[in-house]
Order: sequence, then C-alpha cells, then structure tokens
Amino acid sequence: MSSETATAHSDRARAWLVLLLAGAFEVGYALAVGGSQGFTVLSWSLVAVVFFLLTLFALSLALRTIDVGIGYAVWAGIGAVGAALLGPVFFGETLTPAKALWLTVIIAGVVWLKLSDSLERRQTERPARP
Amino acid sequence: MHWFYLGIAVVFEIAVAIAAGKAQGFTRPAWTAATLVSGGIATYLLSLALLTFDVGVGYAIWTSVAGVGIVVLGALFFGQRLGWRKLLGIVAVIVGVVGLQLSGAV
Repeated sequence: MSSETATAHSDRARAWLVLLLAGAFEVGYALAVGGSQGFTVLSWSLVAVVFFLLTLFALSLALRTIDVGIGYAVWAGIGAVGAALLGPVFFGETLTPAKALWLTVIIAGVVWLKLSDSLERRQTERPARP
Repeated sequence: MHWFYLGIAVVFEIAVAIAAGKAQGFTRPAWTAATLVSGGIATYLLSLALLTFDVGVGYAIWTSVAGVGIVVLGALFFGQRLGWRKLLGIVAVIVGVVGLQLSGAV
C-alpha cells in the first residue's frame, strides 16, 4: 500500500468517526429539544443549542469525505433510532410494540431513500467520469 | 395543533438542507446564516410539536418527512431521477406515519 492510499484510508476512517459522532450529537439534540418543553426549560434549551451547532458542524465535516446520501442516511438513522430508544429512558415515555414497528418502517424507509438517492446519483454521474 | 407545528418544522428543515448544501462547508456567510436561522425556527417548532408527541416519534416523523420532501423537490425542480427505489422509500415513510396515526400511537 502506498503512503498516499494509506492517507486516504485514514482520512476516510476519520470522516466515518466524525459521522458517527454527528449521529450521537443528533440524538442529544432530539432529546434536548424534547426536554426543553418548548424552550421554557433553560438547561435543556442551552443543551439543545449546543448539540444543534455540534451536529451541523460534525455532519458538514464528515460530508467533505463521505457521499452526502450515504452520510445523511447514517446520520438520520442513528438520530432517529437513538431518540426512539432513549426517549423512554429520559422522559418516562413508553415504546409500545406498535410504536416500535411503525417507527422501524419510517426509519428504514428514510435510510433506504437516502441510500437509493446516493446510488442513483452515482449511476447518473458515472458516464461523465473518465 | 402538534401536527401543524410539526408540518411547519418540516418545511424549515427542508430549507436547512438546501441552505447547508449551498453553504459549501459553511464557507459562504449568507447561506451559513440562512442555515442557522432556518435551523433555529425548525428546532423551535419541533420543540412545540414535542410538547405532545413522544420525542422518538415526533423526531422520526420530522426528519423522515423532511428527507422525503428534499428528494421530491430534487425531482420536481432539479431534474433528479425518481426511480422505483426512491419511491419505495417514500412509500415506506408514508405507510409508517399513517400506521403510527392509525395505531393511536400519536
């Protein structure tokens, strides 16, 4: 492996790490926005603003290297699954089997949609490449 | 009222995605500002919707319907293909939202 490919590999690994971090920030954002009670609770509101900036920054950083469709799919997937699983932990909500089922359908749908978007873009772009 | 708040929050989240794309890694100040302002409005309206929705439920509907909106706008105005794969994803999101509603979970 040449040193150039090694650098490209470590760049990709770092971008994926930043993307996973962005997903974690997005979970924190969702929980904090819920906990802010319409931005009437100061502590949760401040946490929400911080996570909002962190998730935007980390996602944009990751998308410099990772394809936007794939990156968005992973980020949104982590955010939605994390919020669904941790909402009951923080706010005494219940995740009934029916809710879990339909949430799975929705989240799988949007992840699939973004991956398809990425795939179809690359198929369209391919002839233009040397 | 919570569906109304969530709907408007979706519109602003779509604006965030468009503005963030144009901001090119937040190097363009005007589009960066548009991203932050739209994001602020979307976040506030989401917080109002989440007064009624469970966090996990409201958040998933918000982000997914916005994702559908972005793809549909791309097909309508930016000439992107809307093939069977994307349509399948869109149908799944709609079925999931309707299913949540019919099961009485929201």
